[in-house]
Formats: sequence, C-alpha cells, structure tokens
Amino acid sequence: MNAETTRHRVALPHLFWWFMFANGGGLAALVLPVHILVQGILGPLGIVPVVDQHYDTWVNVLGNPIVKLYVLALIALSFFHFAHRLRYLLVDFGVHAAKSVPAQVVFYGGAVAVTVITIWVLLTTAPISLG
Amino acid sequence: MPAGWWLRKRHYFLYIVREFTALPMALWLLWLLFDIKSAGAGAAGFQPPRSTGFVVLSAVCLGFAMYHSYTFLKLAGVIIHLKVLDKPVPPRFIVLTMFSLWAVASIVIGAVLIGFGR
Repeated sequence: MNAETTRHRVALPHLFWWFMFANGGGLAALVLPVHILVQGILGPLGIVPVVDQHYDTWVNVLGNPIVKLYVLALIALSFFHFAHRLRYLLVDFGVHAAKSVPAQVVFYGGAVAVTVITIWVLLTTAPISLG
Repeated sequence: MPAGWWLRKRHYFLYIVREFTALPMALWLLWLLFDIKSAGAGAAGFQPPRSTGFVVLSAVCLGFAMYHSYTFLKLAGVIIHLKVLDKPVPPRFIVLTMFSLWAVASIVIGAVLIGFGR
C-alpha cells in the first residue's frame, strides 16, 4: 500500500461527513425558517391557508415524488448537520467523551436512523402520484 | 476549560447559541416528520396542527432557525472562494448572493405551502 492510497482512505470519510454537514447546514439555512413560519405559525393561527391544515391537500402534496425527495433531503441532510453540531457542543461544554468513537456512532448513527425512518414514513404515508 | 466559560464574553455566548440552534431545529423537523406520518392515519384520524403549544414551540424554533440562517449564510463569505475571469469574487458579493437565495427560496416555498392549501 503506497502513501497516496493511505491518504485517500483517511480523507474520503472526512470529505463525506463535511459534505453532509455543510449541505445540511446550508439547506436548513435557506428553507427551514419559511417552513416554521408558514406551517408552524401562520397556518395554525388561520392567517393563511396551508397545505398541512387539511387532509386532502396534505396527502396530495405528499404524494408528489419531487416533494418526497425534497423532504428526504431536508430532513436527512439537516440531521447530519445537527449531529455534528450537537456533538461538538458537548465537546465545548467539556464532555470529552463526545469525541470518542461510540459517541460518533450514537450521533451520526442517530442521523442515519432518522434518515431511514424518514424514507419509511415517506414511502408508507401517501402513495406516489404525479397527478 | 472552566465551567461557564461561554458566559464570560458575549462572543462566546453567541457562538454557543449558534451551535445550540441545531437542537430546536431538530425538534421542529421531527415534528414535521410526525405531521407527515399523521397523514397516513386517513381522513378520519387526521389532526391538523393548530394547538397554542405548537405555535409557541414554532415561534421559539423560528428564532433559533433565523439565527442559524443568518450566521451560516454570513460565513459563506469566509468559506467560499470563487474566481471569475481569474479575479477573486469579493466575499461581500458571495454573502449578498446567499442572502438573496434565502429570500428567493423562502418566497418559492412559502408560495407552494400556501398556494396548495385551502
């Protein structure tokens, strides 16, 4: 095994986690506030009509495959970002165990678990429809 | 590092708030997943999210999400290095572009969420 191969083996996982962290943070920054404002405040208060306030409109939108992919990207990427931030938040508070491999398994494994649950929810909630 | 180090300077405190934003945003997204799942209960079992508690939770989460957006997009000027015609793009222009993207994405997604409602 030469030195270059070794370097690639070390760098690629790092690249993957940073890709997930940066894109999750970016996507959450761009779109999460408007979701919270519209679905979490304006809709429940009845100020504007919102898709998730009625069963038929909500199921129709959730059946769209583009919406399913969008929701999957939003939740999955964001949770990889959150996992990284919360793990380092614990490190900043002096919890050195948060640097350990088991802690990494818990935090990033949690993000993987949320991703799998999201896929399951999206595939079992509203049938895929292009109409 | 001594306990409470992050309370000693405003800069430290804001750094910790920035990192903490992940928790309320994660909670809200888990709620969104629950909201999606509730659509699988059928028309009879569907409960639209309208409680006061949920609105209060969302208002708190919105504050943290806005702070995340502001700090993350502002950092783009430091992180992203672009060259156009062999000249570096000024960081201020990159930040302005990111904030413009935020505005456009908010308008588009807001229009979809409201436009498909009734």
